[in-house]
Amino acid sequence: MHTAYDMLTGPCAWTAFILFFGGCLYRLIKMLWLVWKKERFIFSYMSLRYSLRSLVHWMVPFMAVNWRRQPVLTIATFAFHLCLILTPLFVSAHIILWEEAWQFSWWMLPDGLADAMTMVVIVCAGYFFIRRLVSPEVRYVTGPSDWIILSIVAAPFISGFLAYHQWFAYRFFTMFHIFSGEVMLVAIPFTRLSHMIISPFTRAYMGSEFGKIRHARDW
Amino acid sequence: MKKSIGSILILCTIFLFGWVSVHSQEEMEVVDNSVFDQPRRTSSLFMHDDHNESAGIEECHVCHHVYEDGELLEDESSEDSSCSECHEIDASGDMPGLMMAYHLNCKGCHLKEKKGPVLCGECHHK
Repeated sequence: MHTAYDMLTGPCAWTAFILFFGGCLYRLIKMLWLVWKKERFIFSYMSLRYSLRSLVHWMVPFMAVNWRRQPVLTIATFAFHLCLILTPLFVSAHIILWEEAWQFSWWMLPDGLADAMTMVVIVCAGYFFIRRLVSPEVRYVTGPSDWIILSIVAAPFISGFLAYHQWFAYRFFTMFHIFSGEVMLVAIPFTRLSHMIISPFTRAYMGSEFGKIRHARDW
Repeated sequence: MKKSIGSILILCTIFLFGWVSVHSQEEMEVVDNSVFDQPRRTSSLFMHDDHNESAGIEECHVCHHVYEDGELLEDESSEDSSCSECHEIDASGDMPGLMMAYHLNCKGCHLKEKKGPVLCGECHHK
């Protein structure tokens, strides 16, 4: 038990952090290098103004036509991503562990709110799961990797929820929570979860091409 | 009449002493967290004597340490004072805040010795 905990919070955690940050940097450099090598002209029509215009329209709920067309999906997507990113960064248990390790701490969420945000992530993940099963156009483009990716993201939240409430096998779920969190970090740069770092650039490219070249809106 | 009042008083005194000694360190079952304004977790379960017996700790200073200018004073013990007498809620300089002091002292030793609870809920039972 102690050896496993030592491993998970020591070498495994460091490996996960290094692969996450290193992997993200690698993906960004690789993306820029590919554009440079294959379609260098793209740099010439990138525009900060049109990039930001597109990003803002897609980052505000219901501001883009596609967000308005599917209101339930829009609410689920925004709630899911917001809670997914904020909860692990500001949940008290994580901050206390960081303080133990690095004497470094910052603002923490009230536990009740963090618990509710965790439930939002789990409920939305359930919604995405069901949507992939029942919506024909989504089911058509769903492959095994989609199920794996959804599981990788949901696992740390489900296990964290069970661990916080100390339901069922407390030790198992806490250890699994740490492990699954590390798996998710590593998966971000090396799977389609990389949209976390790549999507702002895709959006900026679309915004620039539509705004500056086609003189049209892309939202 | 006077006699019976006297015996009631004596009984009360005995009860009071008994109650106080039940709540002394030897009989403690949880770490006192009343110093914290709004504790986020339940008090840590901690049976002082049972713990020391099973951990084979005989010297008080193993846990009740004394630091001076950031240096641990070997064999100096602080068992007569509560942790919160030195450790304030917030860290000051090199001295960790009260919660961190508990975590580092208890969990730190458990990790080093590879014995005892290390996960949040193993001490802070719901």
